Amino acid sequence: MIKRGLPVTIAVVVGLITLLGLLLPASPLSGPGNSLMRWAAFLAAFALLLGVLNLFAVHLSRLFRGNLYSGVLAISMITVILLGFTDLLGLTSGGTAAAFDLVQVPLEAAFASLLAFFLLFAGFQMLRQRRGGWTFLFIATAIFILVSRAFSTATFLPASLLNLLEQVTTFLDQVVVTSGVRGLLIGVALGTITLTIRLLAGAERPYNQ
Amino acid sequence: MDLLITLAIIFLTTLLLLGFTIWQKRGGTVVLRPLAGTHALKGQMGQAIESGGRLHVTLGQGGLHTAASAASVAGLAVLDNLAAEGTISGAAPLVTVGEGTLLPAGMDSLERSLKRINPYLPLDANLVQFVAHESDNFAYAVGVASIMTQNRIVGNVLAGRFGAELAIIGEAGQRQEVEQVISTDDPVGLAVATAVTKHVLVGEEHLAAPAYVKGDVSQIASLQVQDVLRVAAALAVVAAAVYHLFSR
Repeated sequence: MIKRGLPVTIAVVVGLITLLGLLLPASPLSGPGNSLMRWAAFLAAFALLLGVLNLFAVHLSRLFRGNLYSGVLAISMITVILLGFTDLLGLTSGGTAAAFDLVQVPLEAAFASLLAFFLLFAGFQMLRQRRGGWTFLFIATAIFILVSRAFSTATFLPASLLNLLEQVTTFLDQVVVTSGVRGLLIGVALGTITLTIRLLAGAERPYNQ
Repeated sequence: MDLLITLAIIFLTTLLLLGFTIWQKRGGTVVLRPLAGTHALKGQMGQAIESGGRLHVTLGQGGLHTAASAASVAGLAVLDNLAAEGTISGAAPLVTVGEGTLLPAGMDSLERSLKRINPYLPLDANLVQFVAHESDNFAYAVGVASIMTQNRIVGNVLAGRFGAELAIIGEAGQRQEVEQVISTDDPVGLAVATAVTKHVLVGEEHLAAPAYVKGDVSQIASLQVQDVLRVAAALAVVAAAVYHLFSR
């Protein structure tokens, strides 16, 4: 009973203090609420450290099974950590920043530019596997937006046509897409409210198991 | 004024939740509207067990301490059910996470399922893998895609907070020709998910997924509350629009 009841009680009390502290900033609960949130941030930072150790352990075990890519990851990780230490001790300057700028940033930029091709591939797959009215509407809208954006600065097209394309694109973006997204977000907000209340009541995972 | 509205919404939601829970416990029955995505979700583990392969579940990059915590809690509830189903048949899912706080939560989910079968069975630490920090979207997506390829998975479930980078994970799943279920509350992620698979749980459906796969009384009551609040929100939007139309 205590084993099950104590964590639920602690979670409910902590949750209520934080919620009331946020809702009533001038109340005496505001201070404890802020302290609890700082603790949560500290725990999250510790969880990240746990994650890094997990990543290292998993790839080390894969390296011993002959996976060379895991070896590259483990060596890179150790190198960046060592660079952090040498930066801290003043032996090098801006080592981690250089590693970030020379490796991480270009790689992420490359993947960001590849994302368009991944989406294109997904669109073609969708057209191949699911031939329905909604699929054609999805693809047609995507192509229309891409084409109208591409020709938005074209000088060889008449100004009236460009103006019409701009108006249709703006209508699709500001009316159709925005209303759809707002509808989704209202639904998500309502779901979040009920989930949070269930959490505060101890009726949600992991307390209901 | 804002504070009063917030407190009123919390009070009303709590009251409705309590009322619907009591009503169900007294024998009230609820018929849930069918969601194609949840049917696919329920079938994923069975397919993995039958084919002798491993199901991959990824929980996204929303932490338990951020604004995305609701999406992550819903993702973890989905994982709980898949893990419970899989561990009974000796086929625990392979779990990947893109945020630190999800790692112990994911491990806890698998460990609970294992302990129900045998309290002394240790959890294989490689079954739950941290891939990248929440700020590295592409590193996470590429890492997950690589894990999927190396482990020859037979099904792919994405449940949590995802952005446009899920196109990379989805493409890896399509290359392996596995069935994919994507459940997220992010509008950008949803747009990409629609192109990747037909099994998509859209927005609030992601938060409703635990009620469909587990079906706790309080979870189903929360769906009823959401229905009531949704109608109220829609009426409020229409009333506000009419008011602005005539007040000009």
